[in-house]
Amino acid sequence: MSSVAFRTLRSGLSFKSPARALSSASTALSNYQHPDFSGYLNKRPEEKNRNFTYFMVGSMGLLGAAGAKSTVEAFLSSMSASADVLAMAKVEVKLGAIPEGKNIIVKWQGKPVFIRHRTPDEIEEANQVDITSLRDPQNDSDRVVKPEWLVMLGICTHLGCVPIGEAGDFGGWFCPCHGSHYDISGRIRKGPAPLNLEVPQYDFTDDETLLVG
Amino acid sequence: MQISSLFKRNSVYVATILVGAFSFQAFFDVGVNRWYEYHNRGKLWKDVKGKFLEGGDEDEDDDE
Repeated sequence: MSSVAFRTLRSGLSFKSPARALSSASTALSNYQHPDFSGYLNKRPEEKNRNFTYFMVGSMGLLGAAGAKSTVEAFLSSMSASADVLAMAKVEVKLGAIPEGKNIIVKWQGKPVFIRHRTPDEIEEANQVDITSLRDPQNDSDRVVKPEWLVMLGICTHLGCVPIGEAGDFGGWFCPCHGSHYDISGRIRKGPAPLNLEVPQYDFTDDETLLVG
Repeated sequence: MQISSLFKRNSVYVATILVGAFSFQAFFDVGVNRWYEYHNRGKLWKDVKGKFLEGGDEDEDDDE
């Protein structure tokens, strides 16, 4: 844009030129009419303006940080177990209904759990086994909390079938899928399974109640 | 204490913002919850729980 056109455009308007003295070099070459902004400038000291700016920037950062924290928290909480999962995470069993020498199967987290009320003879039998001869050596006392109650996951450690109770060569469990024999402590004795039947975490809340999970 | 003392060092400034975000969020959550419960008073589960639970029990008793 040519300066002639600019000057004719501006000359019709009433503009003061208070800032001319500031830049002597440019004013010597141009008579550009500088607009007067002094009416828009605030009169407060620079320190206060700066503090105000920092305060507003900091407040924005604070709100942003709080929002980011909420977002992260929402994502993290969505990963934790929901109420229906937590409600199914434990199962309570009344032991009074199980006579000595009987098995029951309860469902816990979609898996069968074998609970056997063992007789003194069976406990004796489980303790007399020479554990050095076992494939997965484990004492019977390491597999039970109370010797008369044997609690374990009813999933064959071979390929995940459900073994049959009171069957097999060792008086315990027998897996019909590939012929694994478990003894009265749920230890693997014969067949393809590599490990003893798994013992879940459980607790006796009182004499008559078993809490699995 | 001058507020400008918070702005002198960037470390103090950022630390103030982060600490402030945590305390702000606590107060903000409490405040929003209080407003929400006031706005929906009489409709919340804790307000109607007694009515429904008692009613449910009565119904069962009637059926049996």
